[in-house]
This record gives sequence, structure tokens and C-alpha cells, in this order.
Amino acid sequence: MTTHPIIQFSHASFSYNGRVALEDLTLDLHEGEFVGVIGPNGSGKTTLLKALLGLIHPVSGALQIFDCACQALRCEHRARIGYLPQKEKVDPNYPITNLEVVMMGRYGALGLMKRPGKKDREIVLDALDAVDMADRKDRPFGHLSGGEQQRVLIARALAQRPEILLLDEPTTGIDAPTQSRLVELIQKVHKDYHLTIVLVTHDINMISGIAETILLLKTKLHALGPPAEILTKQVLSPVYGEEVIVAKRNQQPYIIIHDEHHHA
Amino acid sequence: MLEFLSYGFMQRAFLASLLIALVCSTIGVFAVLRGITFIGAGTAHAAFAGVCFAFLAGIPPFPMAVTFGLSTVWVTNYVQEKGKMNPDVPIGVFYTFTMALAILFIGLMEGYRPEVFAYLFGSILSVSPSDLVIILILSVGILLIMLLFFKEFHFISFDQEMAEASGIPAKRLNFLLLNLISLAVVIALKAVGAILVFALLVIPAAAAQQWAKNMRSMMIYSALIGVGASWTGVLFSYWFDVPSGATIVLIAAAIFLFSVLFSGKRRGSIRIKGY
Repeated sequence: MTTHPIIQFSHASFSYNGRVALEDLTLDLHEGEFVGVIGPNGSGKTTLLKALLGLIHPVSGALQIFDCACQALRCEHRARIGYLPQKEKVDPNYPITNLEVVMMGRYGALGLMKRPGKKDREIVLDALDAVDMADRKDRPFGHLSGGEQQRVLIARALAQRPEILLLDEPTTGIDAPTQSRLVELIQKVHKDYHLTIVLVTHDINMISGIAETILLLKTKLHALGPPAEILTKQVLSPVYGEEVIVAKRNQQPYIIIHDEHHHA
Repeated sequence: MLEFLSYGFMQRAFLASLLIALVCSTIGVFAVLRGITFIGAGTAHAAFAGVCFAFLAGIPPFPMAVTFGLSTVWVTNYVQEKGKMNPDVPIGVFYTFTMALAILFIGLMEGYRPEVFAYLFGSILSVSPSDLVIILILSVGILLIMLLFFKEFHFISFDQEMAEASGIPAKRLNFLLLNLISLAVVIALKAVGAILVFALLVIPAAAAQQWAKNMRSMMIYSALIGVGASWTGVLFSYWFDVPSGATIVLIAAAIFLFSVLFSGKRRGSIRIKGY
């Protein structure tokens, strides 16, 4: 990991739907870092992603992404950030092929009114290949399973040729074997594409195995550090409550939280 | 057999219905996929109120139709951007408010004004040469803008937030799309009528969706269905002396029903919000 910060929050506060959702956030994320963002519901995880996407601006303090302050995060900067939104049900009748979905990843970089060319098609085919979906490029997107749709949407983000990849609950609502294949894919693209990854999740045990840094939020920055330092009862209890159990499984910490959203 | 083509009013009817059907059925694809077809119904009734006001005040109807139609879009967009209400609410208010205005204006007119009712029920055989010029200019303009921003409109129809996040000025383009839908409805008003124009926006696109595998094919099928239904409707209207707007919509609806029954696609997932 290099030490060059690619994302810098300094005393940044954000409000979302009229209330303060993130308060006084100061932290640096570095180029190539794999950051897992955890926290209970309403802790500001989604707000953090929306801020990084430039969709909301700090009400006080500052956020700098690349060399551009957030208030001025222009279209060309947004195109350098790939985004996998939280999975939504897609209309199975929506007339779009997987190739077309991934091609949308090129639109931001292409600019208005320009049509994709041969080079864009090559980038798109490479991205589909990276997620093992090249053989299904002409199939309708709406007919894929949830896990396959996530793979295509990851390819869409990769087709942007991003420097930062933001993932919002990528494994939610997907069966366990598909989840583990998806996690392997995320690790692979992190390495192959030299990406800075920010992954928001409820699944503490999944993220602890893959992220280099864990960011624990509860409206404020509660803790930031390597998984081994964060996944302790002392750090987690003030955020999740006293019912956090830190067990061991295969020599790794295994977290159990008594909350309907945090079954581990 | 083809002697009807020698009449000027029939030539204008065919040309006007071609242009209107092309514009409404292609922009209707974005409206249906985006789930914003309600804006078409709202615009149509507001534009009709504009026409009634123009007749009452003795001024040309078209500019008033445009003004009333576009104001629906602007108010709805403002309310939606502010996030204060679901867009269905301002559209519902506008829809009924403008219809009440239209009824009030008609009540204030002296005597029976049949030309007002042409705008309510549609009369494609009465399209005048000057109407045709307006339809031609606006249709070409709308189609050109759609062609220029095709990929962006496609992206925001699929997922507006994702489009914005990847560097597309999605909000501004969405506003442009709403304005184009509104204009498409206004130019179709006299030919198809305020009550039925919504159908021309929704039905060809919804029928096309039953067969299409991608956006391009949906556009082409929708245009073919829209133009096919319109031309057949004009012919039936001439041959059997039946109202043109109603005939066009009934033929389009029959094609939709056929598509739903025989396309073999999974059904029940067409997104028509608000109606």
C-alpha cells in the first residue's frame, strides 16, 4: 500500500433527509487500500458512500477526493469512481442485455452526445470477462440471478476504468455459495485493477476476512484500523451494545451480534 | 382504391399521424421504462386548459397549450427535486385543477364551440397546413434531441442515481426528457385529443416491451406499432366515418393485448406509475 491519500475527510459533516447523518469526520483513505465500512442501521454508512459519489456535499468541513474538493466534484471526477449500488429488484422485462448494462459504465467517460467506439467495446468485453460473464453478454439482464446481476454490475463499474470502487452491501440477499464467489471476485478485481475499495456491509465476519482497514461508524467515526484491532468486544460494544459476542473460528475472531440485521 | 390520397386533408392526416406517432411512441419508450408516463396525462389536460383559455381570449391556441403543458412539468420537477411530495401528488392536483379550469373556460364561452371539442376528442382529418408545419418542426426537433442524448436517456431510464454517480448530468437530462414528453403530448393534442393522447405515449411502448430484447429493438417496434396503428386508424376513420383518435387507440390497444398474450414474455411487470 502506498501512503498517498486518495480520499481525505477533514471535520466533514453531512446531513441526509434533513438530519445530520455524519458528524465531524476526519480520516484519510489511501490509494490501493481495501476499506470495509461497518456500523448499525442509521449509522451513516450510505451517507458516506453518497458523499464519496459527490451526490451530497459537506455542510461543514471538507472532503477531498483525488485532488478535487467535493463541492466541485465534476462529472469527469465522478467517472473515476465506480459504484455498485445496493441490490434492487430489476424489472425482468426491462429490455437490456448484459453488454448494454456494462457499456453504460463507459458513458460518463465518453461525455455527452458521443457514441461508444471499438475501444469502448473492448473495455466492456474485458470487464465482462473479468467477472466471468462474457459468454452471457447478449442475454437479457433481467433474466439473470441476483448473484449474476451483481457480477454484471461490478463489470459495469470496472468498465468505467475507475480508481476507486464503492460497493454498497454487495452480498446482501444472495445465497451463501454465491456470496463467497462474489467476495473472491471483489478480492480479485481489487488486486488486478489496483483499486481503492470502500465496501459498506452489515456482514462483519465477511469483511473482516478481506478488508485491510475497518471503519466503524455510528454517526461519528467510532474506530478506524486493521480488523484485528477493531473486532474486539471493547471497540464493538459501545456501538452495537453489550450483547456482542467475540468468538473464535479457525483462529479468526467471529462476531455474533444480537440484532435482526446482524446475524453472523 | 387509393383516390383518398389525392385529397389534401388526407395527405396532411397521414403525414401528421406519421410524425406524431413516431415522436410519441419513441419518447414513450423512455416514459414507460422510467415509470413517468403520468406526466403525459397531466400535460395533456393542462394543455387542453391552455387551448380553452386561448379560444376564450381570442388568441392562437398552440402557444397557450405549450405554456400550460410545460408548466405542469416545471412544477412537478420542482416539487420532486425538493423531495417534498411524491410526483403523483402535484400531477394529480394539476390534472384536476387544469381540467376544472378548462370546464370553467368552456362555460364562459358564448355558444357552442366545436373546435374546442376537437382538442378534447381529437380530429386528425382536420389538421390544417399551418398545424402541420408546427407538428413537423417540433417533431423533427424532438427526434433530433432524442437521437443526440439517446445513450444518456437510456441510462437515466435504467437507473438515474447510477447515471448521476458515473458522471452523467442526470437531473438536468431528466428535466429535458420531461419537457420533451410534454411537448410530444402537446403536438399530438389536436390530432388525437387530450383524453386519448396518453394512450399513444404508453400503448405502443408497452406493446413493444413485450417483444423487445434491447432498447434499440424496443424503439423500432414501438415506432412501427405507433405508426401502424395511426395509419390504420386514419384509414378506418375515413372509410367508416368513425372518430380518428378513438380508432387509433383501439387498434393500438388490440396490438398491446395481442403482444401480452402471444409474446411469451413474463407479464405484469410494466411500470406505469400513478395510473
